[in-house]
Amino acid sequence: MVIENPLPHFAEWFPAAAASWLLVVGVLIVAALVLGCLVSVLRYGPRLGFTVALGTAVSGVVDLVCMSPRRVAALSWLAVKEAIRRRVILVFVLFVVILLFAGWFLDVGSSEPAKLYLSFVLTATTYLVLLLALFLSAFSLPTDVKSRTIQTVVTKPVRPSEIVLGRMLGFTIVGTALLLLMSVVSYFFVTRGVSHTHEVLAENLRPAGPAVDGRQPLSGTTESSQGHRHRLFVDAAGKGVIESEFGHWHEIQVGGTSDKPSFEVGGPEGMFQARVPIYGKLRFRSREGVDIDRGINVGDEWFYRSFIQGGSVAAAIWTFSNIRESQFPDGLPVEMNIEVFRTYKGNIEKGVLGSLSLRNPRTGLIVEVKVFESKDFTPLFIFVPRKITEFSGADVISSKRETPDKGVEFSPPQNLLDRRLAERKEFDLFNDLVADGEVEVWLRCLEPSQYFGAGQPDLWLHAADASFEVNFFKGYFGIWLQMVLVIAFGVTFSTFLSGPVAMLATVGAMIGGFFSDFLTRLSQHAVLGGGPFEAIIRLVRQENLMTELEPGLRTTAAQMADRVAEAGLWVIAHILPPFTEFNYADWVAYGFDITWDPWIVVPALRALAFLVPVFVAGCFFLKTREVAQ
Amino acid sequence: MSPQHAFARKIFYLIGLVLLVAVLSWLGQPTASEGSVEGKEESASGFRLPNLAQLRLRYKLSEAQLGEIDPAGTTIKLATLGLRGVAANILWEKANNYKMKKDWTNLSATLQQITRLEPHFISVWRFQAWNLSYNVSVEFDDYRERYRWVIRGIDFLRDGIRRNEREPMLVWDVGWYITHKIGTADESKQFRRLFKEDDETFQRWEDYRPAADRDNWLVGKDWFWRSEKLVDQGADLRKTTPVLFFSHRPMSQMNYSEAIEKDGIFGEKAKEAWKKAGDEWFEFGARAIPTTEKDRYIHLNDAEQFDKEAADRIAKLEAFEPGLREKIRKERYEKLPAAKRKAYETPPEKRTRDDWEKAQEVAEQLIVTHDQLARQISGPNRPIAIKLAREAAEFEKKAEENRLYRQIVNFEFWRERARYEQTPEAIFAREYAFKGAEALANADLIKAREMYEQCFAKWRQLFDRKDFAQLKNDDSLGQEIVGIIYKYRQVLEKSDQPFPKDFVLNDILELHEKNWRAREGK
Repeated sequence: MVIENPLPHFAEWFPAAAASWLLVVGVLIVAALVLGCLVSVLRYGPRLGFTVALGTAVSGVVDLVCMSPRRVAALSWLAVKEAIRRRVILVFVLFVVILLFAGWFLDVGSSEPAKLYLSFVLTATTYLVLLLALFLSAFSLPTDVKSRTIQTVVTKPVRPSEIVLGRMLGFTIVGTALLLLMSVVSYFFVTRGVSHTHEVLAENLRPAGPAVDGRQPLSGTTESSQGHRHRLFVDAAGKGVIESEFGHWHEIQVGGTSDKPSFEVGGPEGMFQARVPIYGKLRFRSREGVDIDRGINVGDEWFYRSFIQGGSVAAAIWTFSNIRESQFPDGLPVEMNIEVFRTYKGNIEKGVLGSLSLRNPRTGLIVEVKVFESKDFTPLFIFVPRKITEFSGADVISSKRETPDKGVEFSPPQNLLDRRLAERKEFDLFNDLVADGEVEVWLRCLEPSQYFGAGQPDLWLHAADASFEVNFFKGYFGIWLQMVLVIAFGVTFSTFLSGPVAMLATVGAMIGGFFSDFLTRLSQHAVLGGGPFEAIIRLVRQENLMTELEPGLRTTAAQMADRVAEAGLWVIAHILPPFTEFNYADWVAYGFDITWDPWIVVPALRALAFLVPVFVAGCFFLKTREVAQ
Repeated sequence: MSPQHAFARKIFYLIGLVLLVAVLSWLGQPTASEGSVEGKEESASGFRLPNLAQLRLRYKLSEAQLGEIDPAGTTIKLATLGLRGVAANILWEKANNYKMKKDWTNLSATLQQITRLEPHFISVWRFQAWNLSYNVSVEFDDYRERYRWVIRGIDFLRDGIRRNEREPMLVWDVGWYITHKIGTADESKQFRRLFKEDDETFQRWEDYRPAADRDNWLVGKDWFWRSEKLVDQGADLRKTTPVLFFSHRPMSQMNYSEAIEKDGIFGEKAKEAWKKAGDEWFEFGARAIPTTEKDRYIHLNDAEQFDKEAADRIAKLEAFEPGLREKIRKERYEKLPAAKRKAYETPPEKRTRDDWEKAQEVAEQLIVTHDQLARQISGPNRPIAIKLAREAAEFEKKAEENRLYRQIVNFEFWRERARYEQTPEAIFAREYAFKGAEALANADLIKAREMYEQCFAKWRQLFDRKDFAQLKNDDSLGQEIVGIIYKYRQVLEKSDQPFPKDFVLNDILELHEKNWRAREGK
């Protein structure tokens, strides 16, 4: 699975993140106070103005601190009832209708049907729930204000903060219930949608070796189902194996007699997984034997993977930390998903040969544990046993790094290499190759002038298998976070804007959030075609992105305006929540466990970091409105 | 805002809405209501109705006329609330991004979504099908995966055909992918094998031909034929050159014949295949092909007839006053300045740059056109001569134009090739060459030598036939044979035998070895 922006673990992330959050919030509070004072001074004069502003700030803080949970609960319940009255259940009905007709859009014959189905349900749910959250939150308060029903609330002893929080909580409860319903329906939709079995006809099987005790080993293929068929092999003992195809395999039971065998094939296996991966840190070794941060670019537009040259000392090296014997008592399960790049055709019927080695970073002992035939875009599983008796080579080598200040460094120093370590016939994984919980996995391409490509998350240790069902619901947690943020923005905007305008503002915040990465790149000149003003010129003049604009006053003016706009874009990109970071669809679809730290904890805290100021702003906006006073 | 003002505004909006609906309803009223049929566009009152339904009918643009109706696509189009173009653009960007990031499953799904939104945008189908079959397939290292993506691109095109049944280029593309992508890729050997074994694809395509006929060239040929049928029924070829478009079907038969010989199939089957290729090439030559000039067609077979007609008229013209053309030439030559004559008479290898220019001028001045010749004839034959001269010039022009079109598809080469490949000599020669290569690969030098020698003997027999007197000048065949001769040399070298001085194809070596060496860089 591609992870372009890996998250740091909570412990690494939290201190710096908390500090910058406090700084930003502090700046915002000061800015709000200054602005409030200015407005008050303009309205009431310098003396009274300051007093009013200060009074509003203090009473606002009191409102926040003295919120009554009972009143918040009552207001939340009111919001729930309002949402039900506005027939939110229709969204669920619409969702079910979409699922009923989903067969029109989804191709079960796709090479990864589970991924397609999972992506579809998660995406459809996201859009529907966010739309629901948008409409509920943006129109609720303005409708109440317009119909004056808000007065029945504000005339009671409630605080503006309780109204805002009540609405936010109430809509969140409704959205959560809906999301739960959708997730349960989606689960059954996905599992039933891709479920299938295959028929095996005895006449399609051919002898696959000499008979043993009158039983003939057989090989052949299953019948086609959902656009694919599997190769299968039945040994002389009558044990059948079905090969993996389209990301799954099947169990097969062989019965009947040797003359007239019968076969029973089970449902798909391995389609729905939640592998718990342990990722290492990737570096490369150049063909000159020097450690570098990136390998060769073979002309890819996308720099995620870099490549190593075959038939040389070049290697992709992953360093894994905290590898404990208790966690892997039997050995290391290594999985990888590499890319192959050929510079010549070679033997087209076979994959390119590669090797996997393990190296002890302290002693330099390296053992080539497996030579394999490559297959790209498909996970390859290699199990390194605890006692390594079968290996194709062992050596003792130092890694070499060149730095401008320290010159050439060897690790371990070459004079400390003990060559006798490599002369043994058997190695113990933890005693010989793991040092202080650290081990290096080396990937090499063995065929000259052919290349292997990899990115950091392309090789991992398969630590365990978590529950797919739990992972599936974790995927919905990401949607839930997005929903809560949309509700918070919607309610806050609706405290001072009319319904349609609040909706547009929330949509703007959502779009900005979804494209925050693009906005950041735009503000940093990292996007072709310049900033917004340059883009307008190009659009009008129908010029492509690559050509330089004609020099002149117009171009200079546009580029100067872009400098200003870029600063604004940078601010927008950083004050809006990055919605795409709360999207776990890929994790669920590719079968990786969404680990609590960092993938749940860090995004949840980031969402909270946005929710708190948005809520506070909502309280203050409502407090300053006439209706709430 | 006063209540009166608000009321007036509402009335204004209402009138605007009614007007819009009225115009839309008038434009969109169904044709049936006027009882109109194609070609009849006036109502009983004589009022001309330019309504959308009629225009749609006239230009065959209604969903049902374009292709299979797709309720899912229509639903999606409606769901975009008029922002179909924007949605398609966003999806296109997403597809590019997925392609860049090698997320093939999502790429496929996004392409499907785009085509649901823009089912009648032919370029989308063509561009993205190419992407799948050509650009995505090569990203995979495993040839079986590559093959799957080639088929996926073809399936994508077939989806496009279902939605656009009268679009010949989509049908033609299917033919092109099946023939050229499967038949000429680096992995063509594997692709052709997988294609023959691909029961699922043939079932999905509802193509129930026997397994033996599942050759990609024959299957593709059928698709070319279907696209030709659509064009014959009046479908637009868009910007495709007609002569190229119509050449692919007979060329597929040529390629099929060549491919089965590469697979080691000779004898009667190969002969039949080449014979059919020759016949279909002839049919192609007999087809009326549109030229760049509107409503003018040519037949590629006609060039020889035009030559004959021109020669016939020239002979008649020259018969009026035999030797007149030469006489005129001589007179013109004598009138030339001495310097020009000297330059013209200088042997080409000794000419200076100035001489070349002068000699060129002289050569041009010495050309006596048929018209010039006819106008020198006096007496009652003069009008007849002028007419004959004009006709001869016209036939020569037609022949020249015809040959220009022929060159686009290498017409004469393929015609000749189909003719000689179906001879028993050529079929045996190729069979022996195949067996020789096989024996050489198996290190059976004695058999390899024997096979190659028999192969060369057969080529000799063919070159010695009177009806193939010019064949040894064919550079393509000559170089191919030189390649085989070099393999034969290898066999001899490995057997420590000298290359025979009286080698049976020495003339071929003399004619083509130089070019072959240049091509091979040897």
